[in-house]
Order: sequence, then C-alpha cells, then structure tokens
Amino acid sequence: MTDSVVQLRGITKTYRIGREITVNALRGVDLDVRPAEFVAIMGPSGSGKSTLMNVLGCLDVADGGTYILAGENVNKLSDDKLASIRNKHVGFVFQTYNLLSRLNAIENVELPLIYGGDRKQRRERALAALEQVGLGDRIHHRPSELSGGQQQRVAIARALLNDPSMILADEPTGNLDSRSSAEILSIFQRLNDMGKTVVMVTHEPDVAAHCKRVVRMRDGLIAHDELVPRPRRAEDEIALGIGAAE
Amino acid sequence: MKLYDSFRSALQSLVVNKLRSALTMLGVIIGVAAVIAMVSVGNGASQSVQNTILNLGSNLVTVTPQNATDQGLRGAGAQAQTLTIDDMHSIQDQLGDSISAAEAEQQAGRWQITAAGQNTNTTVTGVTEDYPIVRDWGLESGDFFTTSDINVNAQVAVLGSTTATNLFGDIDPVGQTIQLRQAFGGGGQGAAAQRARILNFRVVGVLGTKGSTFGLIRDDQIVVPLTTAQHVLTGQLNRVNQIVIKASSSDTIDITTSDVSNILLVRHNIDDPASADFAVTNQNDTLAAASAVTGTFTLLLGAIGGISLLVGGIGIMNIMLVSVNERTREIGIRKAVGARRGDILNQFLIEAIALTGLGGVIGILLGWAITLVVHQIPQAANLPLVITSGTVIIAVGVSVAIGVVFGLYPAMRAARLHPIQALRYE
Repeated sequence: MTDSVVQLRGITKTYRIGREITVNALRGVDLDVRPAEFVAIMGPSGSGKSTLMNVLGCLDVADGGTYILAGENVNKLSDDKLASIRNKHVGFVFQTYNLLSRLNAIENVELPLIYGGDRKQRRERALAALEQVGLGDRIHHRPSELSGGQQQRVAIARALLNDPSMILADEPTGNLDSRSSAEILSIFQRLNDMGKTVVMVTHEPDVAAHCKRVVRMRDGLIAHDELVPRPRRAEDEIALGIGAAE
Repeated sequence: MKLYDSFRSALQSLVVNKLRSALTMLGVIIGVAAVIAMVSVGNGASQSVQNTILNLGSNLVTVTPQNATDQGLRGAGAQAQTLTIDDMHSIQDQLGDSISAAEAEQQAGRWQITAAGQNTNTTVTGVTEDYPIVRDWGLESGDFFTTSDINVNAQVAVLGSTTATNLFGDIDPVGQTIQLRQAFGGGGQGAAAQRARILNFRVVGVLGTKGSTFGLIRDDQIVVPLTTAQHVLTGQLNRVNQIVIKASSSDTIDITTSDVSNILLVRHNIDDPASADFAVTNQNDTLAAASAVTGTFTLLLGAIGGISLLVGGIGIMNIMLVSVNERTREIGIRKAVGARRGDILNQFLIEAIALTGLGGVIGILLGWAITLVVHQIPQAANLPLVITSGTVIIAVGVSVAIGVVFGLYPAMRAARLHPIQALRYE
C-alpha cells in the first residue's frame, strides 16, 4: 500500500468549544487515496468533512492515528515542517478562491514558488500554469478585475505550480454559477486525466457525480465509500450548453 | 523565502497603503529630524563655546589675585594686591624654555579718547611686550611696543581694530596721536567736568580683528605698556591684575599650572595652598567645564528628540498591529501555500524596518534642512551647526532598531497565527 498518495489509519480529532463542550469531529477514519484518483468527500454539516480536509491538507494535525502523505509520516511534524509539506505535496483550491487582492494573477500563481523552489523558473512556470487553465491572456489582471470563475482558475493554477502530490479542493464551485462550475470541473477532470490526484469536498451530488469515487462522511466516520460507475464529463455538458450543477 | 522576495512584498504593501505608510513614517521622520537638528544645534553650541575660549589664546594658564587669608580669616571685598610684575619675571626665569611666553596685565579703566576730531570711550589696559604671542593675536598694521618702551614708560598705544575705525575711519592710525582724557571730581557735571587729565599717546600699531568673547567685544580696547599704565594712568605701581602664561603645548599645560602655583606659593611665603592669595586656572579646566555644560545641554536636546522618536516607534507598532489584523486572511493563504513562521515574521518585520529606515533617511534630510533654516536666524548665524557622521549613523541605526523593536511583536503575532483560523477570518 505504499503506492497510496494518502493513507489514513484510525485518525481522530477532538475540538474543545469553550470550557465544557468537546466535539469528536473525527472518530477513527481510515482512508486510502491512490494516484490519479478523483475523490469527492461528501456529507452533511458537522459530519467532519471539513476537519478531514484540514488534516489531509496538513493545515491541522490529527490527535490520534497515522497519516502518511506521499510516503511521509506527517503525524508529529513541527509547524515549519508541515509548511514545507503543504508547499511540496498539497495544492489548495478554496471556495472563496483566497487570492491576494493586491497581487495580479501571475504574482498570485507564483506564491508557492516564493516559499520553495528557485527564482529563475518562477515566472516561466507560473505562465505555463496559467496557460493550462486558459488564462494566458489575463496574467496582469488583479483578482478584482476577474470573474469568479476566472479567479478560481487562477487559484487552480496556483495549486498546480509546485506539481503537488494531490490537489485539495474545498467546495471549489460553491460560489460559482453553473456555467463557471462546469468549466472548473472540466479543468479538474482534464488534470485528473493527465494523472493528477484530486480530492474535492462538496455537498452537491451533481458536482460529486463528476468524480470517480465518492466518500460519504457521517458523525466523524466514513459511512459509504463507492466508485462512480460512469462519471459525468463536464466538457460534454458545456458543449450541450447545460450547467454541471442543475 | 529569499530576502529579496520579503523586501519586494514589504514594499508592495507599503505602496498599496500609501497614505497610511506616509503618516506612520511621519512619526519617525519627525523623531529623527528632531534628534539630528537638536544634536546638531547642541554640538554647534558646544563648538562655538570652545572656539570662544580658544579665541582668547591657546594653552593659557592664568593667575589672578584672590582674597588674602590671614590665619584662617579671609579678607573681605577687594582682591589682594599681591600679584606683581616680579612674580611674572620670576615665573619666566624659573620655567625658562618649558613655557612659550608670559605676560602681565593691569586694567587702567575706561577713558575718553579723542583723535582727529573724533572721540570714543573705551577700556585701556597695560600689558607687557609678549601680549600678542600669548594671545595669538597678530597686528593689522604697525608694530607692538617693545621692552624698551616698557622700560621708559613710553606713552605709546596699540588700538583694537574697532577703536581704530571709530577714531580714524579709513586712515591708518599708525604714527597718529591720540588723547586720553579722564574727568575727575564728579560725573562730568558743571565746572567739575572741566577738570580733566589729558594725556597724549602715539599710536604704534593696530591689533587684528578677533570678534567678541562672551559678549565682550575685544576689538574695542587700547593696550599700552604695563609700566605706563602703572605710572601714568593708575598710579598703582608694581601691581598687576593678572599674569597669563602660555604653556608650550596642551600636554604640558597641567605641569605648567602646578609649576606656576608652586613658584608663587614660595614667593608669597604661603605654606597651605588652600590659603593662597592667588588663583591659577588653565584653559583645559575651562574647556572641560564648558564642555560638561554643553554636553549636558546636547544630551537634553537629544533626549527631547529621542522622546519623539519613541512616540514614532509606538505609532509604528500600532499600525503594524492593525495591518496584521487586516491581513489575517493573507497570512492564512501564505501559510497554506507553504510559508513558514520565519517567512511571515520576516515579511512583517521587514515592512516595519522599511517604514522606519525610510523614515530615518527622510528624517535626516529634514533635520539637515532644519539646521540650514536655523542658520538663517541672525542670532545663530555664526553658530557652527555640526552634523557628524556619527549623528547620522546613530539616527539611522536607532530608527532601524525601532523598526525591529516595535515591529517584532506584531510580526510574531502574525507568524503564530494558526493557518485554519487565519483562513477562516472574515
């Protein structure tokens, strides 16, 4: 099983809210994600999917269990070590895009390379990533000058830049209209076709239907884990003029 | 993260918030400018005082009479009249080549002077022939009187440059005759004013221009041979008001001081130096006292500037805290894509240092401009305003240090933020 990108075993996470209340957000999660998978993580609010997402992205550390990301045990790493892991292995795409408003598109994309990698290739690789998401002509636009879909594509370009082991998308279409959503999903599908591992948190079944595998969470545990027989293709839907999430 | 990127990122965020950056920087600018201007004025004042003291002649040891003490009883009021021309000769004989020169003086009071239809009122002092050497005071024209003039109580005079101008205008006074008049028997009223002594003096030289010392305009005076003053003007034979010895260098000035003191103690038959009827002071003491005063003065001015610099620093801290708060989300994003604590710390620290460093440089220019403006004030026109490289280095160093000190806490707060909480921050 060493060929897994993600290997979770018995992951637990407990939050303390105020002085008295404790929330068992994760109660022993086992999960394997293999290279080139496209996994949707679904579940109602409070099911623990956001916590799982944070643990997967090394933004947070589990209380118990083991987590091996791309062959590296990340359980007991320091903050700075986790930062390097995020930089190398995880590409984040957020619901609210999370671009820096005072930087233009290409500067936003370059950001991961500022914290790792050398400066010479930076511009070149950022440009290549932007072209990959179809924004080669918008490199000097600021986020405020771009549409939501375009901003999310800049965010995807940023996530791609360090050639991470996994792209982690948290409700990437949550703020987008159906047409933009379809465009974003088609980019993910295209990247997945090229061999990228994508893990996407969503609560929309229509979005999840584009993935190859759906993991459903309930009460801090994985309730269902099944393969999608025939994932929908976002490109086809764009061609037919219908949105993805309708 | 490379330092270059930290700098770029810091400057970018300063440029984005132009007004805020400028206002924050203003605190540091004013602080640094205040330090520079105040210390420069202080240093200038101190140098001006030193120049003034050295203007009296350099390496001087001065002997003045003090109240005589008789078995512990200090004489009241007037100074003892125990200092004589023989004391000076004795000092000259005993110290020989170890001193450069010596002279003795007797004040002869103020006299009404007339010449060529003009008149003026000025002080007359009897001095000995080495006066120009001791005082480092060259002659503008003519010659100083000689030993033989002193030996024969010659009625010759050397004029201060202002006195010469007052009496003779553009004409060269050398060879001219002046009349010294002193009214006696009343303050110049009625018939009494008619009774006056009138003495003719031949002008042999004019002293160079020296400027004023402590408000005393030293160019308005007349010097005559000491013996002439004693015998013709005052009638106080043998007595002198002060003896001035020029040590051969500033290194020997302290030795000369104690030598002079010992010689006079022996001559005056005084066992206990505490009850000496004379006082010996030297220029080093005067300079040290003066620089202690001006040093305190400069320190005080610097402290005032320092306080405004401190206030500026607190302003920096305030704004940096606001900035960290505002950019919590940005910090979260940067951390998510791989920024380490040190990267975030550097970014905010460099931002603070850029603010204070730039403020420091502008402050130095402003401070320099202020000293130029101060120079335009007539009262300060001949005050040398000294901006030393030391002051500049300290000012820049201190402002950068303020950036570090006051920027560190906000930057640490930023670096410690948890990525998830930072990303969720609205």
